[in-house]
Amino acid sequence: MRRINARIGTCCALIGVALLCLSAGALSGCGVAGSAGAHTPVQTAQVAERDFHIKAPSELKAGEVRLSVYNEGPDQHELIVVRAGAKPLPFRRDGLTIDEDAVESSKAGGLEPGAAKSRRTLDLDLRPGRYVLFCNMYGHFLGGMHRQLVVR
Amino acid sequence: MHATPAFRPFHSRGRRTIIAILLTFAVVSTGSVLLSIRATARSQHRAAVLEVAARQRTLAERYVKEVLLARSGVTADPGTTGTLLTRSADVLLGGGVAPEVEGDDDETDLTAETDRTVRAQLEQQQRLVHDLTVTGNALLAGKPVSGIKLEADEHVTASDPVQRLRILAALTANVALNAARTIALTSDRNVNHLIKLQVTVGVVGLLLSLLLAWALIAATRRQTAHFRSLVTSSTDLVMVFRGGRCRYLSQSVLQTLGRRESELLDEGFQSFIHPDDRALAATMQSTGEPSELVLRVVNRFDEWRHLDAHVTDLRADRQVRGIVVNARDVTERVRLEEELTRQAFHDGLTGLANRALFRDRLDQALARSVRSQESMAVLLVDLDGFKQVNDTLGHDVGDQMLQGVARRFDEVVRPADTLARLGGDEFALLLDGAGEAQAEAVARRLIESVAQPMQVDERELSVSASVGVVVHSGGHGESDELIRHADIAMYAAKDAGGATHRIFRAAMAQEFGEQLDLERELRNGIERGELTLHYQPEVDLATRRVVGVEALVRWNSPRRGVVSPGDFIPLAEATGLILPLGELVLTQACRQAAEWRRDGLVPQGFVTWVNLSGRQLSAGGVCELVRRTLIETGLPASGLGLEVTETALVPDGPAGERARAELQELHDEGVHIAIDDFGTGFSSLGQLRRFPIDVIKVDRSFVQGIEHDARDAAITANLVTLAHALGLVAIAEGIESGGQLASVRELGCDLAQGFLFARPVPADELSQVLADGDFSALIDAPPALA
Repeated sequence: MRRINARIGTCCALIGVALLCLSAGALSGCGVAGSAGAHTPVQTAQVAERDFHIKAPSELKAGEVRLSVYNEGPDQHELIVVRAGAKPLPFRRDGLTIDEDAVESSKAGGLEPGAAKSRRTLDLDLRPGRYVLFCNMYGHFLGGMHRQLVVR
Repeated sequence: MHATPAFRPFHSRGRRTIIAILLTFAVVSTGSVLLSIRATARSQHRAAVLEVAARQRTLAERYVKEVLLARSGVTADPGTTGTLLTRSADVLLGGGVAPEVEGDDDETDLTAETDRTVRAQLEQQQRLVHDLTVTGNALLAGKPVSGIKLEADEHVTASDPVQRLRILAALTANVALNAARTIALTSDRNVNHLIKLQVTVGVVGLLLSLLLAWALIAATRRQTAHFRSLVTSSTDLVMVFRGGRCRYLSQSVLQTLGRRESELLDEGFQSFIHPDDRALAATMQSTGEPSELVLRVVNRFDEWRHLDAHVTDLRADRQVRGIVVNARDVTERVRLEEELTRQAFHDGLTGLANRALFRDRLDQALARSVRSQESMAVLLVDLDGFKQVNDTLGHDVGDQMLQGVARRFDEVVRPADTLARLGGDEFALLLDGAGEAQAEAVARRLIESVAQPMQVDERELSVSASVGVVVHSGGHGESDELIRHADIAMYAAKDAGGATHRIFRAAMAQEFGEQLDLERELRNGIERGELTLHYQPEVDLATRRVVGVEALVRWNSPRRGVVSPGDFIPLAEATGLILPLGELVLTQACRQAAEWRRDGLVPQGFVTWVNLSGRQLSAGGVCELVRRTLIETGLPASGLGLEVTETALVPDGPAGERARAELQELHDEGVHIAIDDFGTGFSSLGQLRRFPIDVIKVDRSFVQGIEHDARDAAITANLVTLAHALGLVAIAEGIESGGQLASVRELGCDLAQGFLFARPVPADELSQVLADGDFSALIDAPPALA
């Protein structure tokens, strides 16, 4: 009888430990993976997006730059940086959004749509030239969310 | 004053822990369920909100198409769509009934949005819907749209009014879609939170369950251990029976019986119960009755243990479901009781029944005889010559002989017969259902059984048995009477020379009953002080003065009057009454002599003589008795003389040696020793010299014939010469005439005693004799005058 009780106790302890580990894993598994790069660019620029306007420096030095992008909302916004050519950026057939495939070769970088009141960073290596910062969500470019940037 | 707390094994910290765990468990579980319900309700609401929000995109695009169609002159109703857009945007934000849309028959009741992010997006949606519908209305009305003030902070630069409308519709559709996404994300996040919460609650619940299980197990184990220790440490034997089988045994049962649990469980226990107790035990094990019983159970060493059991029927108790037996091992008590009973009813020396048990059995047999009218017999056995063995060889030999006789008797009687030792060398046998012929046959067997000599202490000893038989023919009878009749028959057998048996006949009662009555009366007389002393003077023939007295016992029986010593002294000798009688005489004589000395009635050197029987000498202890009596009475040793018969001195062996040594001791201390009735025995000179003798008393038979019988005169002369040759004093007994006196004087006797001088008289009368003192006239007178 005593031996049986001891075994029951041991089993209970093992099950308890296992469940604790499991629950701890489950809880920690919900956390956000990912990390900032080991290399931090010297130049940082603040970018603010809101319905329907982008606020950003008009000039930056060439080289590595970190854009700290804050979405003031209320809608979600993305940020795409494209080196501007001589022609205006081409639209898709809907006439309301930029044809990203067409500007892919000149794209310096971008951020997927971000929730309101969130801040994200976008590291870019910019060569001298003219760039356009814009949000390409449905109607946002034409609603006013684009900005010129000159890199010298 | 604090009351003593009741014993409550379940009232402990363990119980409080279990209650706390249970409460926590209940709260957590309830919270979990409530959260689940709330989350489910929210999910349903979110789904409705999501549907309405997603519908806004379609409505916005439809609105643009309808405006363009209406502008082209095609029938369309953009106003209604615009109203639906506006109304839906309002309901999504502030709650209410979402309007029905074509293809969607259900009106959906929504509550106001509470999430801050979603609310901001929905407010933006309201503003964009406003901007869209205002622009659409202006377009339909053919008004310029570039001047319209937009509320949603758009920076629409397109100059084409249709393009402007499409951009505003796109923005409206997009914000509606994003609001729906945000709602979905929020919902997902909530679901995630809920899942985490549920997992946490589940884990906590599981842990609490384990904790609860552990606490319960611990509490159960504690309680089990508690009760187990109570049961195992208890000296009580605890057994539980279920369905007539043994299901539980406490450790003490195993220890008491020295057996393994496997031997006793199930039906094993039953096999160790005494066959006579099994039926009762089986009933108890299956019914719980009787509630009290004593079981005999055999242990590992084949000893029967007596278990005093208390039975409790707990078959209705769900915790037990059996018959519980609490028992104590009372074997030692039972054995003690049996031993005490045996001692109370058995003779310690021989192990036979004692007088009390014999009387009890006899009474029972008589009671049966009244009912059955069956005959029965009582045999009384007395050993012939045993007293001599006891006296001469000592009590140890006598005891061994009695044991041997008891064994031999026991071998020749039936187990159903009651053989008893009544005391001394007297045995009795009760033959229930026996007639005269059978009783006689048994009597013969008893006599024959002791006929062969027996080996005792490296000696070959012989005794014989005299058996008195009385046969009761059935019906009423008295045990006292039966024993008395058997006693009389036994005396008849003894009278016939012993080693035989006699059947009681009515005629015997008169003949031998008298002797038995005399013995009983003498016993009573000694106890009641009916026996007194008379004293007969002894006169010094040289000084003519009284120099001593002989103490002689007299019995004045209330029923018989004065009884002659010749009648009762032999009886006292035969029955052993001589011992208390001898002590009585010694004490009275010493006390009287001491009194005379204190009163100055006796001269210096006066000796009071007391007769000592051979039985007293052989019984031993005379020396101690005399010393004690002298001290108690204050008589000096030299004032006492002991008269011993020749025959008392003769016995050989340890008893004779002891008697000689005791007399020697007393003589050394100053007590005078005389040989009484000298000349009648067979003592040799050599034997005489071994004893410390001061005086020889010439037997009266020689003195009385001294005048006329030349042989008596010659013997007396030789005896006196012998006494003088040995340096002893010679006393002539029984002087009754002057001629006898003259003769003994002539033969040289030193002292004389007889009626001529004085009869034996009581102490107070002797004082006068002592006062007179001088017998000169008598002694010096011519024989004819004396």
